[in-house]
Amino acid sequence: MQLFKTPKIQFLKYKYIALAVTAIIVLAGVLNITVFKGLKLGVDFGEGTLLRVMMKTPATEGQIRDLLQTVGLGKSTVQKSGGTGREFQIRAVETVNTKAEERGQLEAHEALADKIVAALRGDDGAAERARGLVDLNILDEKSLTGLLESAFPGSGPEAAQRIISYRKETGIIADFQILDGLGLKPELQTFLKEKTYLGKLTVLSRETVGPQVGADLRRKAVQATIWSLLGMLVYIALRFKLEYGVSAIFTLAQDVLITMSFYSFTNREINLPIIAGVLTIVGFSINDTIVIFDRVRENQKLMRGKGLEEVMNVSLNQCLGRTVITSGTVFLTVAALFFFGGEIINDFAFLMLIGTIEGVYSTIYLSCPVVLFWQSWFGSKKAGRR
Amino acid sequence: MKKNLQWKVALVLVVIAGSIFLAYPFDDTKIKRGLDLKGGIHLVLKVLTDDSINMETDQEIARLEDLLKKNSINFQKITKEGLGRIAVQGTLADQESKTRDLFDEYTRDWDYSFTGDRANMTLKPLVTQFLRDQSVEQAKQTIDNRINTFGVAEPLIQRQGADKIVVELPGVDDPDRVKELIKVTAVLEWKLVKGGPAADEATLLQATNGQVPDDAEVIKGDPKRGQGGYYLVDKVATVTGKDLRTIRRTQDEWNNPAVAFSLNADGGARFEQVTGANIGKQIAIILDKKVQSAPVVEDRISRAQGGVIRGRFTAQEADDLVVVLKAGALPAGISYLEERTIGPALGADSIRKGLLSGLVAIIAVMTFMVIFYKLSGLIAVAALILNVVLLFGALAYFKASLTLPGIAGIILAIGMAVDANVLIFERMKEELAVGKGILSAVSQGFSRAFTAIFDSNLTTIISAIFLFQFGTGPIRGYAVTLTISLVANLFTAVFVSHLLFDLTVKKSAKKLSI
Repeated sequence: MQLFKTPKIQFLKYKYIALAVTAIIVLAGVLNITVFKGLKLGVDFGEGTLLRVMMKTPATEGQIRDLLQTVGLGKSTVQKSGGTGREFQIRAVETVNTKAEERGQLEAHEALADKIVAALRGDDGAAERARGLVDLNILDEKSLTGLLESAFPGSGPEAAQRIISYRKETGIIADFQILDGLGLKPELQTFLKEKTYLGKLTVLSRETVGPQVGADLRRKAVQATIWSLLGMLVYIALRFKLEYGVSAIFTLAQDVLITMSFYSFTNREINLPIIAGVLTIVGFSINDTIVIFDRVRENQKLMRGKGLEEVMNVSLNQCLGRTVITSGTVFLTVAALFFFGGEIINDFAFLMLIGTIEGVYSTIYLSCPVVLFWQSWFGSKKAGRR
Repeated sequence: MKKNLQWKVALVLVVIAGSIFLAYPFDDTKIKRGLDLKGGIHLVLKVLTDDSINMETDQEIARLEDLLKKNSINFQKITKEGLGRIAVQGTLADQESKTRDLFDEYTRDWDYSFTGDRANMTLKPLVTQFLRDQSVEQAKQTIDNRINTFGVAEPLIQRQGADKIVVELPGVDDPDRVKELIKVTAVLEWKLVKGGPAADEATLLQATNGQVPDDAEVIKGDPKRGQGGYYLVDKVATVTGKDLRTIRRTQDEWNNPAVAFSLNADGGARFEQVTGANIGKQIAIILDKKVQSAPVVEDRISRAQGGVIRGRFTAQEADDLVVVLKAGALPAGISYLEERTIGPALGADSIRKGLLSGLVAIIAVMTFMVIFYKLSGLIAVAALILNVVLLFGALAYFKASLTLPGIAGIILAIGMAVDANVLIFERMKEELAVGKGILSAVSQGFSRAFTAIFDSNLTTIISAIFLFQFGTGPIRGYAVTLTISLVANLFTAVFVSHLLFDLTVKKSAKKLSI
């Protein structure tokens, strides 16, 4: 099966238009990041607290926000996640007094997290606790085993294990009825109903990052990126020519800038998985660029006397089938992640969707032009060496 | 079959078998999942190493006082000037050379200088460095002991940078308890009570005219233990946690959880003497500068007898106290810099969805390859599956854990693996189009596409190596899976699929299924 008869598109004829378009997108993005919205740093890079909670009964974001309002945390970001209407993600925005000692700061974030949980809980369970009951939705396995063992010697560990693994699986025990389905003895169920109650929420995850670590992670991420770019520059310059290495770096810078620009318009947060996403885009883009450069390198030997621009156009056309198929399959993969991958992968997949298309574009309209410009400015001393 | 083909087939089979052997049965025991997938606690804590320097300074002051008095050197007082800085004030000029000799002989860890009637001493930088380092190492050991005594499967406790410790505890479902367990300094002391408890410091100090006597100190009660108020206690402890011989959970006479202890010979003797001399007085049991309980000494407690610590403990709190006392005290305080608790429900959910989407994606790509490239596509699919098998084998071998960013790395690698095959096949088509024979088209396809595949894979590997070198946790996870899969890719997409072509395409073939 053949996708195209080798086409003869004059890609590089439009290089100035493309450069202008690129410049506009990047400029808009940079403006948006620096002047208007800014990039939202996730809890990984900024400091603060991120909580994910699961409620016993479905609620709305508004209701959650109202609860937070009661303790003066109404400005926190509340996001529904998952399709159950019971799972929420809360990012606390209260800024902590920066003068406080470092030791105090994380603890302040911690206290913030506690405050949020306490606010969501309200007076839920207070009456039960006064009667000496414990919350089955908080109890850890060891303690539950101990509790059950005290009344049903010998069957504690197994029953506790079943209950806790159900809770782990679903996030929360919504109703004592489900104990039936876990194959627990009726008297054991009655015992649990007498000794425990079901709290209105569980905390699925809780992340608190202190200021020092946030800054440290930012610095390390930048450092790692710069070194890996340098590594690529050197390798490509050795395998091809200096200008190819330079143009690859330009291309990657564009990849990062454009994806970040798009990203800044969508209000999503920058987290570590997003950094992995950007690196992946960079990886695909460099792969794409090298495939084209490799073809150019080969064609320069075959097409003596032809100008570099023409050689590039021919190479781009020869590789077009491959480019479409490869990017197409990657796009397919990422689309699957985007639609079925779930909450956490979603941001990553979104980034990749932009990145796959952008990577191809940047190869054609930045990698190649940069090499052309470089050679026309500095001359190609080694043009004769083929 | 040609001889060299036989060798190649054998090599490929060995590699496959090796990977399967390493990764079998492809579950948790072999492929470790990172915390983001499995759930658990990730803590970064900082050892406040200043504490250890402070302690060393205090001890040095005590030693100096002793040393100077013993050698009848006159001085007014010894003061603490700061971290690792001491001043001996009011020294006599005619004793300076004798003092210098003493310092040279006995305080080698300290630099000193004389100005007028005072000697300034500073802890040597190298010693400071050593003490700091040692306190981090000891803190790590202590935390390690505590976690092990508490019982967590596969904990990861390692140092990071100069003064940080990373603790990862997969599968733990009660973060607050563990955090508390790690954080308590666990300095346990028994001290005689001189006054109190009183509601506030002023009331407490009324008897001593608002002054804290030189040999005493004020310690707060621990509200958690029902001990409100302030106590005035001896500065010097009768016995400390270091004198403990055995310690276990027990019950007091009202069946409340309590902790029983016995003392070693030395501590036991002191305890016997002090309790004997102070019958009817209170003795405070102090944990981390908070009074847990202050029982009245009713009788002389003999050295063999030991005692019980009460304090309205829950069973869990009593258990944890036993754990930290057994594991020993921390040499310095710690503070948390970062903590992440990933609930297991989130982990399970991420995995289920991640797997589903990954599966959908891979099946879609494979279907496309087979439809588009027919038999050749089938070869590419075989190479792709082999790539994943090799990856799991390598992950098991390096004991690397699989994280979400790691999966991103795998996606990139699979994309590049597909690309490698596409490059080769498209090249074959081009060679066929210009009228080359089938065998020549196959071999030209591989050899011409090779430089592009090699360069792009190697460039990415180079960048991944730098990312690993300079990146932090999750970025490293990404770099590891990416590097492994790309190396595997060079083997599967080029070597193995070439071999499969050599094995399947006959010389007599009229048409290449591509």
